[in-house]
Amino acid sequence: MIRFENVSKTYKNGTPALRDVTVNIDKGEFVFLVGASGSGKTTFLRLLLREELPDKGRILEAGRDIGTLSSWRVPYLRRNIGCVFQDFRLLPNKSVFDNVAFALEVIGRPRSTVESQVPQILDLVGLADKARNLPGELSGGEQQRVAVARAFVNRPLILLADEPTGNLDPTNSEVIMALLERINRTGTTVVMATHDKALVDRMRRRVIELDHGEVVRDQARGVYGIDEPVIR
Amino acid sequence: MRVYLRYAVKETLTNLWRNRMMTIAAVLTVAVSLSLVGAALLLKQSAAQASAQWQQGTRVTIWMQPTATQSELANVQNQLSTLPIVKNCTFFTQAQDYQEALKILPPSESSVLHVSDMPSSFRCVPTVPSNAFVVESTFATQPGVYRVTAPEQQIRQMNRAIRILQVVFLALAAVLLLSATVLILNTIRMAIFARRREVSVMKLVGATNWFIRVPYMTEGFLQGLIGSLIAVGAVTALHTWYPLHNEFQLNTNALLGTNAVVLVAGVAIGSVGSAIAIRRFLDV
Repeated sequence: MIRFENVSKTYKNGTPALRDVTVNIDKGEFVFLVGASGSGKTTFLRLLLREELPDKGRILEAGRDIGTLSSWRVPYLRRNIGCVFQDFRLLPNKSVFDNVAFALEVIGRPRSTVESQVPQILDLVGLADKARNLPGELSGGEQQRVAVARAFVNRPLILLADEPTGNLDPTNSEVIMALLERINRTGTTVVMATHDKALVDRMRRRVIELDHGEVVRDQARGVYGIDEPVIR
Repeated sequence: MRVYLRYAVKETLTNLWRNRMMTIAAVLTVAVSLSLVGAALLLKQSAAQASAQWQQGTRVTIWMQPTATQSELANVQNQLSTLPIVKNCTFFTQAQDYQEALKILPPSESSVLHVSDMPSSFRCVPTVPSNAFVVESTFATQPGVYRVTAPEQQIRQMNRAIRILQVVFLALAAVLLLSATVLILNTIRMAIFARRREVSVMKLVGATNWFIRVPYMTEGFLQGLIGSLIAVGAVTALHTWYPLHNEFQLNTNALLGTNAVVLVAGVAIGSVGSAIAIRRFLDV
């Protein structure tokens, strides 16, 4: 589903963000991307979204080299990728329903689709009764669930999550993780960048660790950091 | 497609309403500047038409008193035929001049004229245009002569005045058009800024670039269009109500042409303004 072949990326100020990264992620996998701040996790996700282009190497998504994609096709690539962020990125002046509906409307889905899909997905994230509320009236956990609903309403093949639990307490993090697992079970590939050690350790999923832009560990049922000294 | 149209219309109208003060300023600036352009174009066309009409034929006209005697007429005619600076002359009787006056003057003025009030006239072509003055000074004081006119000189003076007026109009219009473009650009920029969250979400979920751009494009387009429609109204009003002599009165085609130029210019300004704003501030 996702394949990085010897990908390198250096930003204009000279900081290397990724160095010769080769990674293969199969369809339906659940992958944690871990590493310190500045290790290249976010660059990895931005490359997948084609917000950046690699300096060297190729990135294949669903068998297609996204580096050769003409710019007018990039939106169609993004329709197959859902995104969730630490800061939710909801539109504050639109209701929960409209926030989710917006994602369908702006890619030209007909009203009938919007009216059938949005309640269904809000039901899935457990917010059917808050459809008419504004994001500001919701808790952080609830807002993140709206964001997940928005990312998944178009049934993308891939779901990217950049520190989705970074602003949430453990209980709410659990709810979000349960949701991502459920989405993963439908066959959606999930790639999640995180700092949350407890969460990664408990889930026992594939872990890719980046350090200064290099893959230092790629482990099939891994934990957050095996070599990490315990700080007391 | 229907979803798209509804979205684009809704977004455009919301943007215009949100920025209504800026929108009004931009629309009015477009309207004023294009009215000036239209007026300058009308002025140019009517001046060209009038001088074309006047220049064919007579360069100097010696108007006789309506009461001039046969001997006075014969005297003038004799002198003209012997004067070397005069190439040729045509005598117009009172009846002929009356017919011409009917053509040139509006009915309200020509209806009070009688044939007996009309002067008869000698229409002369001097060898060189500047000799018109010599003819004028020679005959102005002759018995039976009412007065001598050299329309070409007047046309020249009038043309110079019109040219200056035109340059002033066009210079003002150029400055105003530039500020109209900048105003439209700024309005679109503010609209884009107000919607930056929406735009970033749209990019994220895969809205196409055109889908994102179109509301801003139509916003600028509409501002230019509305401004130029107001200008078309002003130009048409000027053409319809401003009292002009028949020679200046343009036909409907000339007015339509001018209005077409004004419309196209308005739409172009709006589109250019929004295109620049989109290129610079909408990162898609």
